[in-house]
Amino acid sequence: MKFDSVIIGGGLSGMVAGITLQKAGQNTAIISTGQNALHFFSGSFESLKEPGQRILDLFAEAGVRLHYSPGLWLTPLGTFKESALSLEDIDLFPERKFARKVLIVNFLGYHDFFSSFLAEGLEKQGMSCRVRFLNLPELEKLEQSPSEMRSVQIARTMDRLWEKVVQEVRVLLKDEDAVVLPQVFGLQDTSVPGRIRQGIPARVIFAGTLPPSVPGIRTQILLKQRYQLLGGTYMMGDEVVRAHVHDGVVHSVATKNLDSHYLEAANFILSTGGYFSKGLISNPFQVYEPVFGLDVEYKEDRNQWYNPAFKEDQPYMHFGVKADENLRALQDGKPLQNLYVAGSVLGDTRPEFGTAAGQAIRTALHAADQILKK
Amino acid sequence: MNANEFDVIIIGGGITGAGTQRDCAMRGLRTLLIERSDIATGATGRNHGLLHSGARYAVNDPESAEECIRENMILRRIASHCIDETDGLFITLPEDDLGYQQTFVEACRKAGINAEIIDPDLARRMEPSVNPELIGAVKVPDGSVDPFRLCAANMLDAKLRGGQVRLQTEVTGFIREGNVIKGVHTLNHQTGETADYYAPVTVNACGIWGQHIVELAGVKVGMYPAKGALLIFAHRVNNVVINRCRKPSNADILVPGDTVCVIGTTSTRIPFEECDSVAVTPDEVTLLITEGAKLAPSLSSTRILRAYAGVRPLVSADDDPTGRNISRGIVCLDHETRDGLKGFITITGGKLMTYRLMAEMATDAVCRKLGVEKACQTAEIPLPGSEEKSFEAVAQKIWENPTMAQKAAVSRMGTRAARIRTGNKRDDALICECEEVSVGEINAAIDRLEVSTLTDLRRRTRVGMGTCQGEFCACRAAALLAKAHGCVERERADLEDFLQERWKGNFPIGWGDTLREAEYTQWVYKHVLGL
Repeated sequence: MKFDSVIIGGGLSGMVAGITLQKAGQNTAIISTGQNALHFFSGSFESLKEPGQRILDLFAEAGVRLHYSPGLWLTPLGTFKESALSLEDIDLFPERKFARKVLIVNFLGYHDFFSSFLAEGLEKQGMSCRVRFLNLPELEKLEQSPSEMRSVQIARTMDRLWEKVVQEVRVLLKDEDAVVLPQVFGLQDTSVPGRIRQGIPARVIFAGTLPPSVPGIRTQILLKQRYQLLGGTYMMGDEVVRAHVHDGVVHSVATKNLDSHYLEAANFILSTGGYFSKGLISNPFQVYEPVFGLDVEYKEDRNQWYNPAFKEDQPYMHFGVKADENLRALQDGKPLQNLYVAGSVLGDTRPEFGTAAGQAIRTALHAADQILKK
Repeated sequence: MNANEFDVIIIGGGITGAGTQRDCAMRGLRTLLIERSDIATGATGRNHGLLHSGARYAVNDPESAEECIRENMILRRIASHCIDETDGLFITLPEDDLGYQQTFVEACRKAGINAEIIDPDLARRMEPSVNPELIGAVKVPDGSVDPFRLCAANMLDAKLRGGQVRLQTEVTGFIREGNVIKGVHTLNHQTGETADYYAPVTVNACGIWGQHIVELAGVKVGMYPAKGALLIFAHRVNNVVINRCRKPSNADILVPGDTVCVIGTTSTRIPFEECDSVAVTPDEVTLLITEGAKLAPSLSSTRILRAYAGVRPLVSADDDPTGRNISRGIVCLDHETRDGLKGFITITGGKLMTYRLMAEMATDAVCRKLGVEKACQTAEIPLPGSEEKSFEAVAQKIWENPTMAQKAAVSRMGTRAARIRTGNKRDDALICECEEVSVGEINAAIDRLEVSTLTDLRRRTRVGMGTCQGEFCACRAAALLAKAHGCVERERADLEDFLQERWKGNFPIGWGDTLREAEYTQWVYKHVLGL
């Protein structure tokens, strides 16, 4: 199979690159193992302080509604963090005290939404809180199995049941001017969070749950749909097992599912993520990049990989694949002519592109631009 | 009777202290146990969890070997829910001297240990993970024991018999009149409150920290802190304890326990100042993996879950004026005869699995001082939870068709699992999916087993001990604790402490899947949950 570009890794970075290249007329493929960092996305792009119109348009065209309003978002444990850009259903408040009185609504038997932590956090900011639990008979089926009351399972039910939640909340509501609900709405039907807001006569805030993140998975679904509508080939549940490189040029890669069919392309992008996504692999002696064996910046002395204090910055999280100024991957100190690196597999080696989601998007756009310039 | 007065005060909430409190309570004494942090935080919870058959000591220390096999048989009866009767193998590898096997077996038999030479082929069938290169094998009655459960069950029985327990409470000094210890001054680390407690006898059962306690009392005991490092693997690779049939050395015991297995140990003398913060070094990790893989080669490709270290409370011979107790390992000092200080006893040395004997010795000494004549019964009366032997049978007695989670709960709590609220879906919901711990079991532990922090909860229920190392369950359990204690603010700090405590055991082995999990936990707690 022949493509203009093949992208290895289907997370935020890979999809942004894929969409950009498809939109510019290229024929591309994305190879994805299936899980990526969007599955535990907070819903707020803390690392994108100045997103720029290009990024906003890219998301808008995919149907991912964002809003830009520098302020604070409410974390699942009831603290506040600064951010300028977030998904539309994640509020950004100008100040911590966003209401006078708050009604926090949880589901009975749901342990992944921390209503007591939220209440304590909000009360610290001078908002009085009331926590109530909804007992919906429709959720009983989930409760039958002791490990089914989790965010995505509830969200699947809520695509049908959200109107019932609106009614229950209307009954519970007294004189509160804000209602906090768990982020389990709008997994498939993206209009649901907005309709809940219209249906409840108070400000509605959706606060996060334990992963998987419903807004994150929704974002993943929408970006993937956009990529496929533009004609891209998204290979889900597959991974690269071999790469053919000659004289500094990548010719093709082979995947687990398509073993004998090589994927050939003029250009390749490596966006395989960090340790969790196996873009970087570590053993007691080294940190390496498993697909091409690229140069990785890391400390040889393993004692220097960690800070014994969990809450402190961890050096290992900065390690990453080395790339030249155009983000071409380095192998034995020399750039490969047609392999570009994007996203968190870079670690912290290129701070000029930012961190986290900001890094994923900016490096993906930069890599795509380099390919299109050729 | 004044609420601050007791017959005996026991300092130290490890297995020796808990066992001594139980024994004293069974002999009708009014007991108080004081522990500066939580149960089983010292050497009790930081070892192999091996129910020695005694075979390891048979050649060099026959007295210890006899002690072990006697206690081994007793614990199978009285603590069945804390014990896994796995049996053990002593294997001879090509580089070992096969001639040692005969010496070993003879010494075992002399000590009363049923040691049986078996064909290497049979050993490979009995334990498929064993190094297939073995040239000799001996089967012995080793087993594994859960020290947290054992400690909690002893303390629970003491409480059922009227004993009182003060956790998170440190002894800051002794109340002394002339050469008589009358009681102790204490400080509660959680509330900041101070309190005085009185008793005619005080027992120091603090393991290596007993050194500090005897100093507070103004006497000297020469202790020898010996650090031992161990690794926990994420799977139960072996079902039978595997030992090397040679002179005891480093990293030559692999013990299965619950869902995991443990390799150890090393032995290094450390300064006293380091006892509170022992860390495992990269060299120790390398040694443990290399030697461990010789027992079971698959260990070299098995994920390591944690590294940890404990400090053995050995007593150096030259400082013990009587010198009598050294060979036995157990040291019971009556400071009245030894130092002229009345009302004070130190019990130390020994092993996890000889705790009952140590408790008996200490309690005998207490009773002699108080003039109480009642025989020890701890070798006959089972611990709460261990009244029935088979946990499958117990589970079926409590629930007609027990679920996996209920069976897991019975394996942890024995017959006490009947106290878990169950039968409705809210109580059956799982908090910890790796170890199948339910809401009901966690609430039962909070109510009945003196839980104040997430780490306390982990010791009693295995929450956070599985492959995810508390990534998800820590938060869920924190919410239950916040509800039970009515304080969210304290729980936030507790959650941070819990994650720090997990990281402490993860970073020495931070590579491969452990590092993946650590990166994920970092990301989730710092960036998503906003801790």
